[in-house]
Amino acid sequence: MKKKNAVSAALAATMLTAAILPGCSSGKESGVTEIEILQYKPEAATYFDQVEDEFNETHDDIRLTISSPNDASTIMRTRFIREDYPDIIGIGGDINYSYYVDAGILADVSDYAGLADINPSYIDILENLEIVPTDGTYGVPYVANAAGILYNRDLFEEHGWEIPETWTELIDLCEEIEAEGILPFYFGFRDTWTCLAPWNALAVGLAPSDTCQNVNAGETTFTEEYRETAEKCLELVSYGPDDPFAYGYNDACTAFANGESAMYPIGSYAVPQILSVNPDMNIDSFVMPGNDNAADNTLNSGVDLMFAVTEECENKDAALEVIDFLLEDENIQAYIDDQNAIPCKTGDFQLASQLDGMTSFIESGNMTDYQDHYYPSEMAADALIQTFLIDEDVDAFLSDFDTRWQRYNRDIIREVQEYNEEHGTAE
Amino acid sequence: MYEKMKARVNWPITILLFIGLLTIAFPLYMAIVIAFKQPSEMTTSISGILSLPELWSLSNFAQAMEVTDFWRSLGNSLLVTVATVLLSIVLHSLMGFAVGRNKAHSRFYNFVYLFIVSGMFVPFAILMMPLAKQTAEMHLANWAGVILLYVVFYMPMNLLLYTGYLVNIPIALEEAARVDGASTWRTFWKIIFPIMKPMHATVAVITALAVWNDVMTPLVIMAGSGQNTLPLAQLTFQTQFGTNYNLAFASYLLALIPIIIFYVICQKQIINGVVNGAVK
Amino acid sequence: MKKVNDSKRTYMLITIPILALFVCFNTVPLIRGVIYSFTNFKGFGDYDWVGLRNYMDLFTDPRIGNSYLFTIKLAIVATIVTNVISLILALGLNSKIKGKTFLRAAYFVPNVLGALVVGYIFQYIFTYILPELGKMIGSETLSTSMLSSTSLAWIAIVVVCAWQNIAMNTIIYISGLQTVPEDVYEAGDLDGATGWKKFRYLTFPLIIPFFTINMVLCVKNFLMVFDQIMAMTQGGPAQSTESISHLIYQNGMEGGSFGYQSANAVVFFIVIVVISVAQMSISSKKEEQL
Repeated sequence: MKKKNAVSAALAATMLTAAILPGCSSGKESGVTEIEILQYKPEAATYFDQVEDEFNETHDDIRLTISSPNDASTIMRTRFIREDYPDIIGIGGDINYSYYVDAGILADVSDYAGLADINPSYIDILENLEIVPTDGTYGVPYVANAAGILYNRDLFEEHGWEIPETWTELIDLCEEIEAEGILPFYFGFRDTWTCLAPWNALAVGLAPSDTCQNVNAGETTFTEEYRETAEKCLELVSYGPDDPFAYGYNDACTAFANGESAMYPIGSYAVPQILSVNPDMNIDSFVMPGNDNAADNTLNSGVDLMFAVTEECENKDAALEVIDFLLEDENIQAYIDDQNAIPCKTGDFQLASQLDGMTSFIESGNMTDYQDHYYPSEMAADALIQTFLIDEDVDAFLSDFDTRWQRYNRDIIREVQEYNEEHGTAE
Repeated sequence: MYEKMKARVNWPITILLFIGLLTIAFPLYMAIVIAFKQPSEMTTSISGILSLPELWSLSNFAQAMEVTDFWRSLGNSLLVTVATVLLSIVLHSLMGFAVGRNKAHSRFYNFVYLFIVSGMFVPFAILMMPLAKQTAEMHLANWAGVILLYVVFYMPMNLLLYTGYLVNIPIALEEAARVDGASTWRTFWKIIFPIMKPMHATVAVITALAVWNDVMTPLVIMAGSGQNTLPLAQLTFQTQFGTNYNLAFASYLLALIPIIIFYVICQKQIINGVVNGAVK
Repeated sequence: MKKVNDSKRTYMLITIPILALFVCFNTVPLIRGVIYSFTNFKGFGDYDWVGLRNYMDLFTDPRIGNSYLFTIKLAIVATIVTNVISLILALGLNSKIKGKTFLRAAYFVPNVLGALVVGYIFQYIFTYILPELGKMIGSETLSTSMLSSTSLAWIAIVVVCAWQNIAMNTIIYISGLQTVPEDVYEAGDLDGATGWKKFRYLTFPLIIPFFTINMVLCVKNFLMVFDQIMAMTQGGPAQSTESISHLIYQNGMEGGSFGYQSANAVVFFIVIVVISVAQMSISSKKEEQL
């Protein structure tokens, strides 16, 4: 009896180990360097698959894999926690970048020669995102996007509508469009993040670009800086569909593509989705005219995708060689054609026709980063704005914004203020 | 009188039940119609939404299969599901046996029972990060890890079911076997395990459904391994900046087929035997 | 004597390895999670100990309070709706009807679908089809999407949760009804019991254990609701449908407050255990009374 028991116990144990063992596979040794990119834009997966193939065809010493998973932010987090760092990460220029720099996850690439070709205003944007000023450059800006108002060019030409350059002109235009029985704007506010598109586009023109830093330094409050933005945002929404919170981003794109509204305040990134519904649509865009003085308006543009080499990457030269390849003019051109993006590299690139109305701002460098790139995601500023657009209570919203900001940024604020005490207040 | 009652079909209830089926058929109709339409057919008006597709083409399905690398993902999903179900049936019924036969008179087993069952209430979110770290340290950031985790995650529920069912099995059966000289181990396999068949079917269905549709565990544990299960591959259709509902629904329907077949096979067992386990 | 030892050892040899497995992949990570709840860990990088700060914050954070209110409201209503409907369905499916096998299989289908998929389908229905129906019958409240209304969105979530969970509950009730012996009804017939009375005094007392298990499972599942929220509202509009699990995931995993949300999860875990234990002891008292 005893023996049998032992046998069965052994059997059970074997079953368990059998389940565990295949995990212990080891890497193979060869002269080829493996470089892995994990990038967060799944909508560009096709482009990156192509680049991956081309790179591997032309390089024998480096084997490149690019993954473009859907839930990249969760995947990045879980891979960081298990210390399984990709060699290069492709992320946006937002608060996650600030966190990663602060946590020392990213490597300093300020010696990288390719940086010389990058438009310096985008490198500045990255600098500004650092929680406390940190020496070095930690990412190579690849492409930017812009948010403003997309419009149906055919509809505009048909009715002879003019592109507005001031806030009054915009409101007049909306009235005119409405008078002709057409809906001026469409919104997809059920997807809360879309609330940020008109918000950002207005905020860059109406609030100082360093609002968030100043609040962190304790010099101002959002109640003071954001009131005009909030009020104007509310006014815009009144020219949208009856129930903008019923529809998602997708629905809004579909409706705009089918000519149900004349304009759509969203970013340049929406164009591929709109064209997938109506490939022949003639779309153009213009800068959100938040001010009544046209000269005060600025294009809302930020780094949409950058590549950052991780500190843990074993072969940084190989990683930079990969970035060199990604930065080759024809690859950038292919990306911006595919995604309707704006290159961060200087040079002679052909911008998509849907950006025509913004080109002058891009060329003159009159661009300001998205305010929400400084908002921590757990603060859920998008949901706050959505709540505000439903309740329409400006005062409650602004004080809520300030309270939440203090709550979720407590550690950052402390870090900033400690830094400022040590180094004297930031200039 | 009894015979007569049995023969009479209750028509009003039958009809009501068939009408009630509409609440289930309608959403499914929507899913099927959307799966066959092209993005350009997706309008926002109600007649457009309800209408049949212009053309019953399988192109969405073909494309969905290509995008999700269907056969490989299907294979992976099958592997994980089958392995989890088999391991669960064996390990959980053993555990149910050991705990169920002793928890009435042993404090230790009663504690083990409550300890494991309370694991049902642990929110996955709190385990996620620590598990990602732990499985990586143990070289388990792969299939084996995911399967092991499932065996642990569904243990509370299954233990509840098995110990409950065991109450229905008279202890006299085991004692008789023991008198004949069989060991406890042997008694379990020869007598108890076969008797638990209806419970095995229930456990198999509940576990298989949960594993088949789960996204989070493989996402967190195997992220970056390049291996996909079907639900994981289907995430491709949901991006913040756009959703291809047509492809997505086509692929959901495809993923549904295997599990429906499995359910039809187990269904008889479920209806006949079933969940009285958990109750006693 | 030897026999007793043999069986004792066998039970131990079974229990210890499986228990070890459970401790390793459930208890240990749970303890690690609890430890994180005393830090300001973001999910990566360094972290500091913050003592009980996270726990204190929980009680002053209106967002946490709202998510608890929403989740509990949802769980109570959805549990009642699910159990009433599935009990009626089970009674129907257990009576003498045509096409019983087909009907039972068909009513189980919602349970086969993944919750995310169900959510996407219903999101469509709530956004486009229901408002049109509302306009047709001239109802003001229904003519806009329920999902866009802060006061109605939660009802949509209830509908979807119930739609999917009714299937499993019905099966459990059916199996309960099958344990009710025919002669109970025959005795009832002699006493002249009919309809509601028959159910209330004859059938229901006999299936109380099944009722308990359904209640406990429902409340637990609905308190942990996540997939439906992800697919349908993402917590909106205006955070009116932000469930606790959704909040923990959103801010803990995607955002940078892993430590804080770990504290939330610890409290949440305790709340669920307390509710479930209370439920079970209440219904076991009921059983004794009957």
